[in-house]
Amino acid sequence: MKSRLLHTPEGVRDIYGDELYRKQKIENKLKTLIRSYGYNEIETPTFEFFDIFSQETGTTPSREVYKFFDSENNTLALRPDFTPGVARAAVKYFFEDDIPVRLCYLGHTFSNRSDLQGKLKEVTELGLEYMGEPSVDADAEMIALSALVLKEAGLKEFQLCIGNAEYFRGICEAAGLGEDTISDLTDHIRNKNYFGTQDLLNDVDMKDDIRETLYSFSDFFGNIEVLDLAEEKVKDIERSLNAVKRLRELYERLKVYGAEKYVTFDLGMLSKHHYYTGVTFRAYTFGTGEAIVRGGRYDNLLENFGKRKAAVGFTIVIDQLMNTLERQHIKEEQDRVKALVLFKDESFKKAYEKALELRKEGKDTSMTRVLKEEDMEKIRETAKNRGINEVYTV
Amino acid sequence: MTRYLTFALTKGRLADKTLEKLESIGITCEEMKDKSSRKLIFVNEELRLKFFLAKGPDVPTYVEHGVADIGVTGKDIIMEENRAIYEVLDLDFGKCRMCICGYPKAKELLSHHEMIRVATKYPRIARDYFHNKKHQTVDIIKLNGSIELAPIVGLSDVICDIVETGTTLKENGLEVLEEVCPLSARMVVNQVSMRMEAERIRSIINKLREKL
Repeated sequence: MKSRLLHTPEGVRDIYGDELYRKQKIENKLKTLIRSYGYNEIETPTFEFFDIFSQETGTTPSREVYKFFDSENNTLALRPDFTPGVARAAVKYFFEDDIPVRLCYLGHTFSNRSDLQGKLKEVTELGLEYMGEPSVDADAEMIALSALVLKEAGLKEFQLCIGNAEYFRGICEAAGLGEDTISDLTDHIRNKNYFGTQDLLNDVDMKDDIRETLYSFSDFFGNIEVLDLAEEKVKDIERSLNAVKRLRELYERLKVYGAEKYVTFDLGMLSKHHYYTGVTFRAYTFGTGEAIVRGGRYDNLLENFGKRKAAVGFTIVIDQLMNTLERQHIKEEQDRVKALVLFKDESFKKAYEKALELRKEGKDTSMTRVLKEEDMEKIRETAKNRGINEVYTV
Repeated sequence: MTRYLTFALTKGRLADKTLEKLESIGITCEEMKDKSSRKLIFVNEELRLKFFLAKGPDVPTYVEHGVADIGVTGKDIIMEENRAIYEVLDLDFGKCRMCICGYPKAKELLSHHEMIRVATKYPRIARDYFHNKKHQTVDIIKLNGSIELAPIVGLSDVICDIVETGTTLKENGLEVLEEVCPLSARMVVNQVSMRMEAERIRSIINKLREKL
């Protein structure tokens, strides 16, 4: 009768056993790596005032945010992503001087997306934020670290795709486009919808060379050479030229990190989110239908909380990373040894000593009392199924 | 060994047209021509391509999840499903229009902001059109086929549906009242595939574009 209480709501699930062990091991490995670059961990609350995640500061549409009320009728929200909360906390506690702040976080995020799309509503995210440093050094450190994180997790084949929305914005400015047209155009270019761009701009009045540039956005995608092509097209648009220059500087820095072999550029990679202001990047690999790392510069976000500070960051969804590793058949070495000590009532002391000895050897050891000799085989069998490597009888 | 590039095609006429187009740029799948075959996946070993057929609305789903790299389906379905995929090419066949249709007297209801009852197979497209383009309150009734029936039996004021020739409408005294948007078959690509298989996919797109 109570069995209907056994299953979880759609979009959330239990994680246990070997799977959880592997997950936590990856989390620890990645955290150790990130710490070694001088990042300090931060934990922000699971829920905050909804305004923290509102349109200007958040990445999630309001209808996908889990909302509820406190006793004073304030609207609260389960965090759909970490960055706004971390930015709020950073403004609150740091920046009394001008020294940049490096923060990392690991925790759950929640999004109330529609059902039946095969996607989880609660996931574990790991992310980094580098705040108070507007230079290309910070961009490079972020992108290089995202490559290191993926390598540390075991991925061998992946691509880092880098864009800079400033390039597109410079062209729009020069073309004198209205806000509505820019918004539609952004959608088309983001979706690589070449013919949509053409339809949209056919009747819009602008210089022919600018029109040509906007039509050819799908060509601004590939390795470092596409920057030459992109530069060629915007000779008198300073804003766009600066955007390309920034990418070149970034590429030089990434060479120092030895990360350039993973890099491709895509000037048509435009984010849906208001808060990205300059360089954006994503990592792609097989075995997952969407980007595995998302990041970029968001120099205006902290201003919402009262301090003008540049910032750049990225996030990776651990659950997605685990799935990808599995689909690419990348297996961790099994390094955990589990032992079981079986004993009869009178030999408890001896069994306890044996277990202590095994634990000292680094084996995860449990003890079980056996009542009847004939149960012994059954217990050995079950132990094997549960992944226990060694069984001792005392 | 080169990775397979997988195509998800919309079952029926659209698939035949798509295969024709692909054949014109040298992409063939002999296995698929055998109509008696019960196979679900068709392979071209030489070009390292795989093909499968799916219901239209499922094509964007397969592509979004990356189990198909490339898909071909109607613009109506892409709009209705609203998945995170790249829409890279208008294939210029399967042309028709998404329209608001009804009895001529229903035109009056479309000229102000009063609530209107709309029957449709495409609730998202209808909602988007009435909310964001016409700023009109709308009561949407989801149907799965024979949408034209709804205004005739009095289930709704108008319908939002695909119009090809308009013959069915005319025979029943209905007409096109407003056009929502033109439709045609589109090629869609998964976001990851677009990067990881950039060269192969872009060459297909460029070759097809030249043929259009």
